[in-house]
Amino acid sequence: MDPAGTPLGKMLLEEITPVVMVLRTPSVEEACVKNGLSFVEMLSPFCNFSNIDVPLRTSSDQPYRLHKFKLRLFYESDVRQPNIEVAKERLKQVITKAGEKENLELISDPPQVSNLLDSSKSELLPSWFEYLNKELIRTASFSEHETFDHPVGCLLVVSSKDEQPINRFIDLFNTNKLPSLLNDGAMDPKILKHYLLVHDNHDGSSEKASKILSEMKSTFGTNECHLLCINSSQDAKMEHQDDPWASYKYDGSPVQRLGCCLDVDDISALKDLMHEFSSKHVIPYMEQKVRILNQQVSATRRGFRNQIKNLWWRKGKDDPNEMPSGSMYTFSSIESQIRVLGDHAFMLHDYELALANYRLISTDYKLDKAWKRYAGVQEIMALAYFLLDQSRKEAEYCMENAFNTYLKLGSSGQQNATRCGLWWIEMLKTRDQYKEAASVYFRICSEELLHSAVMLEQASYCYLFSKPPMLYKYGFHLVLSGDRYRKTDQIKHAIRTYRSALSVYRETTWSYIRDHVHFHIGQWYALLGFHDVAVRHMLQVLACSHQSKATQELFLRDFLQIFQGAGKTFEVPGLQLPVIDISSLKVVFEDQRTYASSPAASVRESLWRSLEEDLIPSLPGARTNWLDVQTKLMPKRLRESNVCVAGEAIKVVVEFKNPLQVPIPISNVSLICELSRSEEEISVDTNASTSELANDEDHQRFGVMVVSSDSGSVILSEFDFSLGGGEKKLVELTVTPKLEGTLKLVGVRWKFSGCVGFYTFESILLVKKIARGKRKAKAKQSPLNDLKFVVIKPVPKLEGHIRSFPEKAYAGHIQPLILELKNQSNCSIKNLKMKISHPRFLSIGNKEVQHVDFRACLEKQSDNKQGGTHANLKKASQGVFLFPEDVAIKGDKPLLWPLWLRAAVPENFLLYIIIYYEMEDASSVMKYRTLRLHYNLQVLPSLDVSFKISPCPSRLQEFLVRMDVVNKASSQSFQVSQLSTVGDNWGISRLQPIDGIIPSQSLTVGQAFSFFFMLKSRRLSSVDAATHVPDLSPDVDNDVILCPESVKEPLVNATHSPLANFHDSERLQHGIHNQKDDNTVDFVLISRPLKSDTNSEEDSDQPQLFSHHACYCRTASTSPISWTMIGPRTKYHNFSSSFCEISLKMTIHNSSDAIASISISTADSAGQSDALPSQGGWKPVVKEIKAASPKAAGIIAGNSPESLWSLKPVASPVSSFIWSGSSSSNFQLAPRSSTDIPMQICVFSPGTYDLSSYVLNWNLRQDDGGCDQLEAKESNPEEMRKLSGTCSGYPYFLTVLQSV
Amino acid sequence: MATTASFIIVSRNDIPIYEAEVGSATKREDAAQLHQFVLHAALDIVQDLAWTTSAMFLKNIDRFNDLVVSVYVTAGHTRLMLLHDSRNDDGIKSFFQEVHELYIKVLLNPLYLPGARIASSHFDTKVRALARKYL
Repeated sequence: MDPAGTPLGKMLLEEITPVVMVLRTPSVEEACVKNGLSFVEMLSPFCNFSNIDVPLRTSSDQPYRLHKFKLRLFYESDVRQPNIEVAKERLKQVITKAGEKENLELISDPPQVSNLLDSSKSELLPSWFEYLNKELIRTASFSEHETFDHPVGCLLVVSSKDEQPINRFIDLFNTNKLPSLLNDGAMDPKILKHYLLVHDNHDGSSEKASKILSEMKSTFGTNECHLLCINSSQDAKMEHQDDPWASYKYDGSPVQRLGCCLDVDDISALKDLMHEFSSKHVIPYMEQKVRILNQQVSATRRGFRNQIKNLWWRKGKDDPNEMPSGSMYTFSSIESQIRVLGDHAFMLHDYELALANYRLISTDYKLDKAWKRYAGVQEIMALAYFLLDQSRKEAEYCMENAFNTYLKLGSSGQQNATRCGLWWIEMLKTRDQYKEAASVYFRICSEELLHSAVMLEQASYCYLFSKPPMLYKYGFHLVLSGDRYRKTDQIKHAIRTYRSALSVYRETTWSYIRDHVHFHIGQWYALLGFHDVAVRHMLQVLACSHQSKATQELFLRDFLQIFQGAGKTFEVPGLQLPVIDISSLKVVFEDQRTYASSPAASVRESLWRSLEEDLIPSLPGARTNWLDVQTKLMPKRLRESNVCVAGEAIKVVVEFKNPLQVPIPISNVSLICELSRSEEEISVDTNASTSELANDEDHQRFGVMVVSSDSGSVILSEFDFSLGGGEKKLVELTVTPKLEGTLKLVGVRWKFSGCVGFYTFESILLVKKIARGKRKAKAKQSPLNDLKFVVIKPVPKLEGHIRSFPEKAYAGHIQPLILELKNQSNCSIKNLKMKISHPRFLSIGNKEVQHVDFRACLEKQSDNKQGGTHANLKKASQGVFLFPEDVAIKGDKPLLWPLWLRAAVPENFLLYIIIYYEMEDASSVMKYRTLRLHYNLQVLPSLDVSFKISPCPSRLQEFLVRMDVVNKASSQSFQVSQLSTVGDNWGISRLQPIDGIIPSQSLTVGQAFSFFFMLKSRRLSSVDAATHVPDLSPDVDNDVILCPESVKEPLVNATHSPLANFHDSERLQHGIHNQKDDNTVDFVLISRPLKSDTNSEEDSDQPQLFSHHACYCRTASTSPISWTMIGPRTKYHNFSSSFCEISLKMTIHNSSDAIASISISTADSAGQSDALPSQGGWKPVVKEIKAASPKAAGIIAGNSPESLWSLKPVASPVSSFIWSGSSSSNFQLAPRSSTDIPMQICVFSPGTYDLSSYVLNWNLRQDDGGCDQLEAKESNPEEMRKLSGTCSGYPYFLTVLQSV
Repeated sequence: MATTASFIIVSRNDIPIYEAEVGSATKREDAAQLHQFVLHAALDIVQDLAWTTSAMFLKNIDRFNDLVVSVYVTAGHTRLMLLHDSRNDDGIKSFFQEVHELYIKVLLNPLYLPGARIASSHFDTKVRALARKYL
């Protein structure tokens, strides 16, 4: 690689060239101004020689040829260090001007990163960088410590118009006008002088000029004088094909053509002049000087190595004393001369010689601590190394050294540091070390913002060009630079940098970075008035949930400001305020399925389907039917679309979320819909719909016409609401199509303070498949179709609800409810059916009931004839209720139908009701529809009732019933009012007086209480009625009043409609066996909440009633065989005459459905009373023997309930008796029958005897299917197999007394 | 404890999956974005350096003014990056190693998708505790 061919090489060949100082008289300028040029400008193009071809011989004996050469011309006034402030001002102007050119590009989108990498460097790099860098380098020119800017020669120019030109020449080189460099001894004042006489041809012929020239020649010497004739063209209309001045006049005004008075001869004269001046004067002069200086330096420094070393040593020691300032090197000092030698050699392209000399003085300067000079030498050394293309490391080391040294100097070295840095950067760039170059750019940055902005921007490009490209660094430095541009009010530059940075940060997930870039660029665009672009950028930062609240407010405020500044409403596709949660999207539409409430719509479809199964005659068949109809009407692609009915709303539920902590107002939220009609219909109906045609071409092409949403064919709901910080809100939007056709839900739109945001479902749906299970659509459909609906003709729609359905109730609470059904349309419907998911909770009442008092239908009428009540309820199978045929719902008049609600079990319970109906109008597309109702009821626990039944030992088919009631409610007290048995088989009676049952008359929270009742089998009674008439006490009834007389509540009929229905449901719930079983009994406990502490909101007029059902309470305990011993309890006998024979009777009852064979075996040896059979914890104790009335005994026992629990030793004398009848008797007992067995004992002495010493063996014969019933009856598997058993006798105490 | 320390975990796709300001200095309004910018830019350097060395801990790879970036590159090319102004190299190294362990534990969670944002509050508390301990 040729170093001279690199950008840096070219720059060096231009910048480090001999300087010629131009001294001229004002009249010379006057002549030149005619061409729009100054004198120096006029000459400059001709000072640049690409191939001057001058032979040279400097230090070595080997001559070489100089090819590229350039002279730099400066007026004497310019040969000094430029004023820094002026320079800065000029740079600023350059930058501002460059910024203004950007105008058009600013609005366009930033390029993609890939494009960025593909495009060439020159395209990307702004062109003004190069110019600016040159200007920056020039700010450091004409310094004292470097001599390559020191004038080599001097051109004295006088016009032929001037009077006494010779004297003018002498005056021109007057010391007090010369630059300070020459005067203060920094450079040798004896320099090459050349005298030039300028003659303007407009002023007449050149004769006078020639005369002056000859005069000059005689005065200054022949070689040193020249005549230049210019402005030969008289009419000033010369045009130059390749304007040589173009590149030299950066901001030349285009009005005046440059060089217009110079004809071809003039230009060639200029060329010749400069060529001659360079080759004949400047170069030989420099060559000469190099040789002389080289000899001097060799003599003083090189020749004798030891001497030099000595000299150095001495110098290092002495210099501080000699030159305290350390920088006062005059031109005559050896150091300066070496430097001059080096610079001249450098300019004559003898880099090796230059380098040798630079090295020589570099150590000198370092020893002298002349840091600026040292840095300067290091810098030029590095350049020399570079141009020699040797030792890159050396070059870089020197550069860094120089740069650091300049930086150490502080502000005085700043300009030089910048220049040095720029050269260094160029050097690095040449070697493709862009990364290092960028870091140098970063180091050049000074406090001055504009300067560092430009440097940072250049650094960023370096990162971009580095291999591999460092895009993140590129972006970061652009942002840094943009920030500084902004601070110096260079907004256009700021935007340009940020815009470029955007191509890196466009899709970034680094939230703060994205926000920063978009926010600032948005702000700046707004400042420049590009409001729409600004808004676009601001939109990106709006949903900044990660930012602090203050920042969010700031973003929002600025956004709104910009928006107002824009002064119009925008449709913004990507408005992220609020955020729409697409996964929450739920579409509810009604085809043949209609919903009474939105909760009903959200119930799983499969649940409804399972309920509907029995209701809809034949679901697949029905659908095929209406689908067949559809097939004819609709194109195939719509066949599988969702169907909705014109005039009925489609609900769309979407969740809006505010990502910010700042509340935001949202208004005009509505759906975007397209309603199109199929082509064939249009051809029929063109006139009607042409006015509604939208000009959407896409849809036209598909043969579908679009009716835009605002044309009145669709009614959209609009919502206004406000979202607090971080709030989520579900919004239900509706669209009601008015016409038939195809409706498509496109998206949702809303207004956020004048800015209309919209959001299309489709785009999102296509991108991510959302969870389709949430929506009602069939699974096989593509998501797009889910938002497409076929709108069909209006059909009747039933609306229904249950009036004042309670939200919570205590368990057991029975309430009447009214179901209200309405049909708004005029078409009638028929064949109403209803199905309830939980008949246990809800039962359907009679039509008449709604007119009757609630209480009345519950109360027990004196003539409790309930026959025929069930007849009205047409109960189909599986609990489907058919409404009577004559029921017609039409128009305003609603159908009211009574229902009974009973909160059966404490739980949170969901009730589903489906009402099916068919269209009267057979031509409609839909044949039937269903109305789905859904209610939620929270059931609270109230009374917990359990029953325990144990057989009464002394009585056959009589049972003791213990009812344990616990109040489990949280706050409610209850009053137990009535206990009923269900069915005719059983009668129940109190064992306790009514007032003494519950002292406080109510059960408070948590209280438990036990009640005791006697249960009697009516059937047995009726069987035995003939024999045991007195046993049937009149109070054995189905119902027992439990509340005291004072609170007179009417009896409740447990066998009447609602209670009976619920009871049936309860029975269904409890057991699979539906049959009547004699051994089980069902109880219904009626209770009421205590009025005094009902603080509930329910009105007290309405009687509240609770029913608690207990089904299949078993009466028989272990064996199907029960018996009782009947006989006297006390016997007087005169034992002196004979032993006493006592006859007893044992009544045995077989309660099973099988024939039982029973054997009784008696044992005489009195096994004692410890062997009492355990009867569920009941231990009968007889304290004393009383009058032998079994009934009385029962009452006595009942008087002191505690005694029943206690076990007391029976003090019975052990005295023997003999079973005197047959010791064992076997017999068969028919199912459900009783028989009497006579028994006899012989007693020999008076005493009390326990006649329990017998054993009853029973065996069930399991023919005629008795086994099955047994098995079904028994819940315990162990007992199920119990087909035989042995029972030991009950204690039966007989007292025999000696008669007097 | 360092006055400024910004810790960030960057997934292999250059997406930040965890961010925490663990310095003791009072938070400046623009600090968050500056830290992100510096760390984001340092990714370029990491990209260069990570393949030149077998060490996981790359200390002081980039700097911006007085802020220094140290990086720990895991085997899966997840980068734990710390922007700090202290010179406590040993502490930073230990910090990285322990956070790496925590990160591995997060990865072991079957419900965590590699490359997703780490939202675990447990992880957050642990990292902050480690920062107090080592930085």
